Amino acid sequence: MFELQLGPLGGASVFLAFGLALYGAVAGVIGAARRDARLQTSARLAAVAGFILATAAVVVMQAALLTNDFSVSYVAGHSRIASPTWVKVVTMWAALEGSILLWAWLLTGYTALLAVTAPLSPLRPYAISIMQAVQVFFLGVLAFIANPFKVVPLPPLDGPGPNELLQNHWMMAVHPLLMYLGFVGLTVPFAYAMAALITRRPGTEWMAQTRRWTLTGWGFLSGAIVAGGWWSYEVLGWGGYWAWDPVENVSFMPWLTATAFIHSVQVQERRRMLKPWNVLLIVATFSLSILGTFLTRSGVVSSVHAFGNGPVGPAFLVFFLLVTLAAFGLLAMRWDDVKDRADLDSVVSREGSFLGVNILFVTLTAAVLLGTLFPLIVEALTGDKVTVGAPFFDQTTLPLWMLVLLLMGIGPLLPWRRAEQQRLSRNLALLAAAFVVSGALAWLLGVHKVYPALTVALAGYNLMSLYLLLSGALAPRLRLANRGALQVIRSYAVESRRRVGSMIVHFAVVIIALGVAFSSGYRVDEQIRLDFGGSAEFSGYTLTAVDRFMERTPARISAGAVIEVTRGGKPVTTLRPRLNLFGEAGRTVPTPAVYYTATHDLYLNLNSSVGPDTTFVVLRVVKSPLVTWIWLGGAILLLGTVYSLGGGRRTVPARAVAGEKREGAPA
Amino acid sequence: MKASRTALIAIVVTAIGALFAFGLLRGNPDDRNITSNLLGRPAPGFTLPLYERYWPDYGETFSLQEHVGQPLVVNFWASWCLPCYDEAPILQQAWQTYGPQGVQFVGIQTQDRDKRDEGRTFIARFNLGFPNVLDNDSLVGVDWALYGVPETFFVDASGKVVAKHIGPVTAAVLDQQLGALLR
Repeated sequence: MFELQLGPLGGASVFLAFGLALYGAVAGVIGAARRDARLQTSARLAAVAGFILATAAVVVMQAALLTNDFSVSYVAGHSRIASPTWVKVVTMWAALEGSILLWAWLLTGYTALLAVTAPLSPLRPYAISIMQAVQVFFLGVLAFIANPFKVVPLPPLDGPGPNELLQNHWMMAVHPLLMYLGFVGLTVPFAYAMAALITRRPGTEWMAQTRRWTLTGWGFLSGAIVAGGWWSYEVLGWGGYWAWDPVENVSFMPWLTATAFIHSVQVQERRRMLKPWNVLLIVATFSLSILGTFLTRSGVVSSVHAFGNGPVGPAFLVFFLLVTLAAFGLLAMRWDDVKDRADLDSVVSREGSFLGVNILFVTLTAAVLLGTLFPLIVEALTGDKVTVGAPFFDQTTLPLWMLVLLLMGIGPLLPWRRAEQQRLSRNLALLAAAFVVSGALAWLLGVHKVYPALTVALAGYNLMSLYLLLSGALAPRLRLANRGALQVIRSYAVESRRRVGSMIVHFAVVIIALGVAFSSGYRVDEQIRLDFGGSAEFSGYTLTAVDRFMERTPARISAGAVIEVTRGGKPVTTLRPRLNLFGEAGRTVPTPAVYYTATHDLYLNLNSSVGPDTTFVVLRVVKSPLVTWIWLGGAILLLGTVYSLGGGRRTVPARAVAGEKREGAPA
Repeated sequence: MKASRTALIAIVVTAIGALFAFGLLRGNPDDRNITSNLLGRPAPGFTLPLYERYWPDYGETFSLQEHVGQPLVVNFWASWCLPCYDEAPILQQAWQTYGPQGVQFVGIQTQDRDKRDEGRTFIARFNLGFPNVLDNDSLVGVDWALYGVPETFFVDASGKVVAKHIGPVTAAVLDQQLGALLR
């Protein structure tokens, strides 16, 4: 009897998708070189067909996970019958092979979308071919090195289930998805940049066509980083959200270069400058995302939450080196086409400030890269094992972050080309006043630590900057219009979505900066022993351990304490920090309970076990101010990005540079 | 100028490549090589219920203590563990070779609470001839300081743990360890 087996079906889909990617990559380039429209079209069709096949592979994987088909190696190795359905679905990206499948699938999806929607241009065939070449790598890894669809001849009766830390929070369903959407989204501008170099068209065409892709990718990546921070906060039990762990760093570095990129491209759009910067930044973004995958999947740098050693390490290393060599080699070959012909008119100008952004963000990237690789470098040279901890990263990056905030306030107020002395002086005076007043206010209110106080001062300064930007744009419109103020504001918000979007994002950055400064600067962290029935004071709160509890679901056993929180005798909340045990083989995962407020969080994590005979618990209690602002800021940032994306296709408005001055500074 | 730029890129990329190649080749600190405090110490004793098919030969329970005096292979497994399915036939084959030479094998199903039906299916599928017991509370696994399943311990005739193997055991490992124990 013939029986449909999911393993071979998924494997065949991956293999065919690999073949199509290979075909598309080759046919597209030959088609473009020979100007053969039929070949080009066939490559685009291959992109669409590749997506359909990759989707089939994902559907097969999901079917195998949901039906507990342990004859599929990935399911046998990482899934478990007792897991709830949502965990089974996200198990697809809970381990190495599945996460590469997800990445490959998203990549084929973006490529197909590009093949269908990208406007006809000399760049398009090359860009799609480059996307397909990247697909060849990912699908090749899936087909030949880390095949998740291997057939298990004697399927086990159940599997171990995914990593406990990943089962413990729904955010795990979201974070990797966002991360890969970000990485894959930023592959599009990379592909177009390469196409621009190949075709010797390094003008604004490639960035105009990828503006939305870039912003989308950047938005997803930003969301992924905030989501990852939140996950770590809610799951890891130390009351923090960022530890400068290599895994975090490698997701952060592409974000840094991508952030520089989305600023820097504007200079090329308006002034045809910084071309080499833009190509360098997008190449760096793409190769850093591959580097990050290599570092975390190969065990080359040790990290608390790497996927561990696998055979894919060398493959990613070779791909990283190939990409870097090819991209930089191409750039070197085309240097004469790319290099800027114009010089800055003045450093004190919009383009000057964007150049500053580039330099700052590249320096930040270099610092993070150095800190991440330093242990490896030392070990290679001397054989000693060293670690680089948070203090290094804090000390090197904090002053740079302050400069970023400084530049973020002044940059958008500077006009293109050259600032007029008079306007500039007035704006500077107002900004300085806001800086001094908010800094002094913070000091008087008891913020006596340098960085938090400086952050408050810079926040006030940035809010002033946003006010000046808005009033500068709205005042002349209000004066000229004979409509109501609300209508004028609404029409401005609709017309200038990019600009308004960027203001929203910058506002979000201010919020996040305050959240980070205060939650790290004024965090109170204590270990408290509580007898059941007993109470303890903590930072204005009274914590009473009223009870213990135990819950059992098919997937897990939870044991925890019921802690009543009161303040000044009034009940505030009841928190249930717990330990979760997933499956028989599982580790216990402490699961903190958090009381969120607008000004601070109360964070309880169980540091001792709870059983029927337990008479006391040990709690780690953390109070950190303004943590919520980080998540809120993250949401606002995404909102601003989405708002900015909605802004029509008029990517390069045909307005004269002189007209820009009016927008840049209040009249 | 162009040549020197290209050369610079080549040098930098080669240096990075060399650094990472070093990182890969140096080998990763593999925690599977961690030694056990048990090595050289007496094997922790246990008495656990046997699956029914072994009752005629061994009775309803299996006690490690009763088998001191002969070399022992103690193998921990679970019904959800993929590599355990790979090693089970190897263990069965080794049992057929070394059982007659006086080596006692015992399989301990652990981290598998109340999975008796699954345990029976596992044993039946590989027709395991050596006795298998269920460590329902996984406490014996704790006594033996399990890293994970599968894991195999070798105990000499004096009852001392002489070696352990984390991960699926191979015929070569069994031959090597048992060859030494029988010498």
